[in-house]
Amino acid sequence: MPKDSIDSLSRDSLHQLQIERLQMTLNRAYFHVDFYRNRMDSLNLLPEEVGTFEDLRRFPFTTRQDLTDHYPYGLFAVPLRSIVRLKITTPALGDQGRPIVVGFTRHDSSMWHSLMMRLYEQLGVTDRDIVQVAFNFSLFPGAFTFNHAAELLGATLAPSSTISATLQLQIMQDFRSTVLATTAAFALHIVETMERLGMEPDSLHLRLILLGPDPLPDTTRDRLESAFGIPVYGLYGVTEMGEPGMAGECPAKAGLHLAEDQFLAEIVHPLTGEPVPSGQEGELVLTTLTAEAYPLIRYRTGDITVLREGPCSCGRTAARIVPILRRTDNRVSIRGIPLYPEQVEELLRSIDPLLDDFRLVIHTRYGVGEQLDILVSRTQAADLPGGGRAQYLELLRATIRRAVGLGTKVQMVEPDRLPREGLVYKTVFRSLSPPCALDPNCR
Amino acid sequence: MLRVKGLSVRYGTMQVLRRVSFHVGADEIVAVIGANGAGKSTLLRTLSGLHRPSEGEIRFMNTPIHRTAPERIVRLGLIQVPEARQLFPNMTVLENLELGGFIYGGKHVEISLPQIYEIFPVLSDRRRQKAGTLSGGEQQMLSIGRALMAKPRLLVLDEPSMGLAPLIVEEIYQTIQNLHRMGTTVLLVEQNAMGALAISDRAYVLETGRVVLSGKASDLMEHDDVQRAYLGRDYQHKWER
Repeated sequence: MPKDSIDSLSRDSLHQLQIERLQMTLNRAYFHVDFYRNRMDSLNLLPEEVGTFEDLRRFPFTTRQDLTDHYPYGLFAVPLRSIVRLKITTPALGDQGRPIVVGFTRHDSSMWHSLMMRLYEQLGVTDRDIVQVAFNFSLFPGAFTFNHAAELLGATLAPSSTISATLQLQIMQDFRSTVLATTAAFALHIVETMERLGMEPDSLHLRLILLGPDPLPDTTRDRLESAFGIPVYGLYGVTEMGEPGMAGECPAKAGLHLAEDQFLAEIVHPLTGEPVPSGQEGELVLTTLTAEAYPLIRYRTGDITVLREGPCSCGRTAARIVPILRRTDNRVSIRGIPLYPEQVEELLRSIDPLLDDFRLVIHTRYGVGEQLDILVSRTQAADLPGGGRAQYLELLRATIRRAVGLGTKVQMVEPDRLPREGLVYKTVFRSLSPPCALDPNCR
Repeated sequence: MLRVKGLSVRYGTMQVLRRVSFHVGADEIVAVIGANGAGKSTLLRTLSGLHRPSEGEIRFMNTPIHRTAPERIVRLGLIQVPEARQLFPNMTVLENLELGGFIYGGKHVEISLPQIYEIFPVLSDRRRQKAGTLSGGEQQMLSIGRALMAKPRLLVLDEPSMGLAPLIVEEIYQTIQNLHRMGTTVLLVEQNAMGALAISDRAYVLETGRVVLSGKASDLMEHDDVQRAYLGRDYQHKWER
């Protein structure tokens, strides 16, 4: 049963807490952040005109664009000396670079730790557990939160970062790790390595696996659960907003419990921005309730989900979101690294203005993006930037790698050989798993 | 126990409270801190029914009280220790205490008096003395004692430290903590931020009629904004780019 009192708070008490914290957020945003103040002034809106959650709908949305426009400190609500950590979300993209930087005060960072602790506790992780955290720190600062929260919980932490899967498995065996926290892509890689080495899952002591921050496809969950023979859980985080811990599954696996004491959730229609009827799918819009350094009011996450307010069979009263169904924009994820096709296009065209067309080919395994190939086509064979064909392709590859932090394969093909793009702009997905996945003898 | 939601109060065209929301749970000590003119006293007067809010609601023990008459609110158990004591100086200590409990009748007063004297032995010694002749600290004790006579479910204290020497303030705070330990829920409204935070569980910071900060008292004490506001540090260097 839940230990944390927040978990069992009545809806009524929760709403009281939310409205108290909302007034604080609005007041602080109005007085400390010029962006929100100008916005509210231009609408003739004062923070005190918001007395109910419905009133909040008069506020305009905050978008990713707003965040990049006010890089670096335009949206900070406290002076830099009160900030204890910066989180630079998108790697700087050279001249076109418009990263997002989020700051945390001491209070903010301990808030995230406590949320992540809550997620661990919700899954029954205790001080008796040995938690192995395998995340790439450089591209996912949230790895800190996974680590610190495990430590604060009193669990034994084995941060293994991104050492090879073979070494990960060795650590799992030697230290009898009971919990593995990593990305879906890396967990799949570990399974393959385990099978290649002929290791039995019984030789490990894992109790559960926690995957994030990308949505966890059911096929991945099934594959991992059958390979390890233990439950696999997902969590949810918003890249632009902060850290993991915002929402996570409980053992009932009936959606991700949202930390409603810290975030106010709305579900809106992605096109009209109007609220959708309860229980219907729409875009998740979040307002921070206690964030001091970087308050966000009605931030459009771009994630499509459904909010369920009914009580969960685990006894917690916090509303749940269903695992993210899709994005409202074209964002894709390869090995946990978020990427916008438009961003790639901008990079490619900045190097080669004569580029005709291109495709992103994302190879997926059990629904998780694993490898990115870029196909480019060019009718004019001459004037290749960089010199020869090989240098040209290398130039493109290196630029993408520098800007996005992702190794890719770049090929030049005839225009008619470009695959037809799917629902996502200029992007095609190719599955590496089936039909192999259906065949148990297939390696 | 007490839930205030979106409370606004105006004096004519002047808006003094701007959508104030806060709550006090059973067995808590909650502080509302703020500088002069932040709206603290207006907030308390509204809680007691002396002002009508222009919007918002106040629920006490699940009953809406923002349209209730002051004497009804007292009967519900929301008892205030007013700012600057507000004793009847020409009446004796005993008479002041009796007035506190008179709504419940003589029998109640008879039973309650020994309890009050136990908490404040000094009042027992001076029961025949005129209230106006007491020292500031003693007057504050009498004021609290008078409120206790009215069987508070929620004891609301308005600046109990005002105009008192530091040592006496310490003593008053000690008393508040003792009362809390004996099961009284306390709402403490103070200008003396650090003192109030030291004895509270949670707190709200009121600034020109708005709640700008809330949280655990221990966290707020460390908070940069509280330090800035109450240790006189300014916002000169907002951005250190």
